[in-house]
Amino acid sequence: MRRRSGNPGSVFPGIALVGGLLAAPLFLPLYHVNLLTEVIVFALYAVSYNLLLGYAGLLSFGHAMFFGTGAYVTAVALAHLPGLSVGSAILLSVAAATLAGVVTGALLLRHKGSYFALLTLAFNALFYAVATKWHSVTGGDDGLSVNRPNLDFLGVHLDLSDITTFYYFALITVGALIGYCWHFTHTAMGRTVLLVRENEERMKFLGYDTNISRLLLFTFTGALAGCAGSYYALFFEFTSISAISIEMTTTVLLMTFIGGTGSFLGPVLGALVYTLLHDKLSDITDRWPLIMGLIFIVMVLYVPGGLSGLIVSIRERLAGTAGKNAAQPLEGRKP
Amino acid sequence: MTQFAVFVLHGLAYAGLLFLVSSGLTLVFGMMNVLNFAHAAFYMLGAYFSYSILQWSGNFWLSMLLCPLILFVIGALVERFLLRRVHQHGHLHELLLTFGLAYIITEGVKWIWGNYSLAVSLDGFLTGQVSLLGITYPVYRLFIIGCAVAVGTAMSYVFYRTRVGIIVRAAVDDHEMVNALGINVPLVFMLVFAVGAALSGFAGVIAGPLLTTYPGMAAEILVDAFVVIVVGGFGSLGGALLASLIIGQLQAFGVLLVPKLSLALIYLLMAVVLVVKPSGLFGEEA
Repeated sequence: MRRRSGNPGSVFPGIALVGGLLAAPLFLPLYHVNLLTEVIVFALYAVSYNLLLGYAGLLSFGHAMFFGTGAYVTAVALAHLPGLSVGSAILLSVAAATLAGVVTGALLLRHKGSYFALLTLAFNALFYAVATKWHSVTGGDDGLSVNRPNLDFLGVHLDLSDITTFYYFALITVGALIGYCWHFTHTAMGRTVLLVRENEERMKFLGYDTNISRLLLFTFTGALAGCAGSYYALFFEFTSISAISIEMTTTVLLMTFIGGTGSFLGPVLGALVYTLLHDKLSDITDRWPLIMGLIFIVMVLYVPGGLSGLIVSIRERLAGTAGKNAAQPLEGRKP
Repeated sequence: MTQFAVFVLHGLAYAGLLFLVSSGLTLVFGMMNVLNFAHAAFYMLGAYFSYSILQWSGNFWLSMLLCPLILFVIGALVERFLLRRVHQHGHLHELLLTFGLAYIITEGVKWIWGNYSLAVSLDGFLTGQVSLLGITYPVYRLFIIGCAVAVGTAMSYVFYRTRVGIIVRAAVDDHEMVNALGINVPLVFMLVFAVGAALSGFAGVIAGPLLTTYPGMAAEILVDAFVVIVVGGFGSLGGALLASLIIGQLQAFGVLLVPKLSLALIYLLMAVVLVVKPSGLFGEEA
């Protein structure tokens, strides 16, 4: 895991990206603005997943239980509490996902590795079962439609039913959250998680309670996924059991892995590529999940670093050719 | 009382199926330390192949013979050409690979056989009912129990009484040492993986007429098999047997006594085991 903070070379593309995203609705057709909003929502989901997989080294097959919890809480709250604001709905979702994170995390984190992966899948199945069976609240297979309320905040009034307005709303709030996640990886807590992954024994020896830091991270990523789920419900104005199904976990896994777990922004790239591919492929063929699966397997076999890993290695190869040629004679002289 | 006996038998039939699926899964995990997410997908393939063989030949016994063989070959190929390749990248990649494989198999099944449930119909004596001690019971469920007992007995015989079993058990404990003793451990791994796949395929064949054959059947049994492993303890054959029996009964009586909560019961059991004895009933302390 490589991070180049403070390097001016990484600041300019960042500014260009933010500028491009802010200006996007000016030159993109509405359909693509909508698509981009979807990318933003899934980017948060994927970033939260990568904090778990890439940073803590915990492979979870149950991230959708938090995403789905967030989506359902938003849908149910907006349906049953008249006059609820968008912000409160999102906060309620985050609170519910946090609670779910603490409770499930306390049980799940008793194990690591394969065992943890297995348990997360089983727990996701439990959440899915509850969503399917609890018909009176979740609507079961029929799902729930969501009324996206308008935003009234500190005298600012925004009509969120407008596609472009909702795009800006999602871009700014989710962007800030993703920025916070980036900051989090640089805090003492974020560093601890990384170090626990690298050498848990040593961290324990140094006096860190590694179980607590893992639980905190797990809960934090759960809360973020719940937030993403809330945006998902607001974006599609609909919540169905697919939001809490294993497929939704697969989706985030594919996004994160395609983008690359080795860098912070890899999953964002993954969310973009996945959403665009999905959009194009599902037009061409009904078999797009099969193609996605094949891409995934090929990447697991040959490109384990994902797209961002690929970009880094290409960049290093381009930058490093001259240096390597110069170094060769030295190596030859060694024996 | 008769109703009670019927539900015990229902539970036993499902336990048999679960044992067939989870024993292969736990064996492979105990040995190779690979949790095979595609295991249930092999089970599903078994059911679908069986459906097609039945369509073609109408002979259930033939599909019971052929499907495990086909799955054995598929399992061997998967281990040799996919799993072994990512082994060097570590655990995470093995999990991801089998997960991706399960995904592709599920999508492939939807493509080839369609995204709806297929009915596998039997003929002959298997479809009949049998009267026993005052209760009438479908022959087919008894047949499943019989199959599970036969396979379980054969497995434990091979595992505990033959030279092959000793090699496998030794390789579970310390594969490097066994390798050093001149045994081709990678080949043993491949065969164990293939046998696991074949067992799963066999379970798929006999599950076909009992449950419905549809693309979601893999995910359904996978979760139950996982619960079996968690409750029984990782890598333990005896644990898999006991946990299958418990979960089978829990399923059967859950439907009878608390129909609304029947689904939650097995998760409850899993949660209790996780809290009280995280390594499972027969598992070694980690």
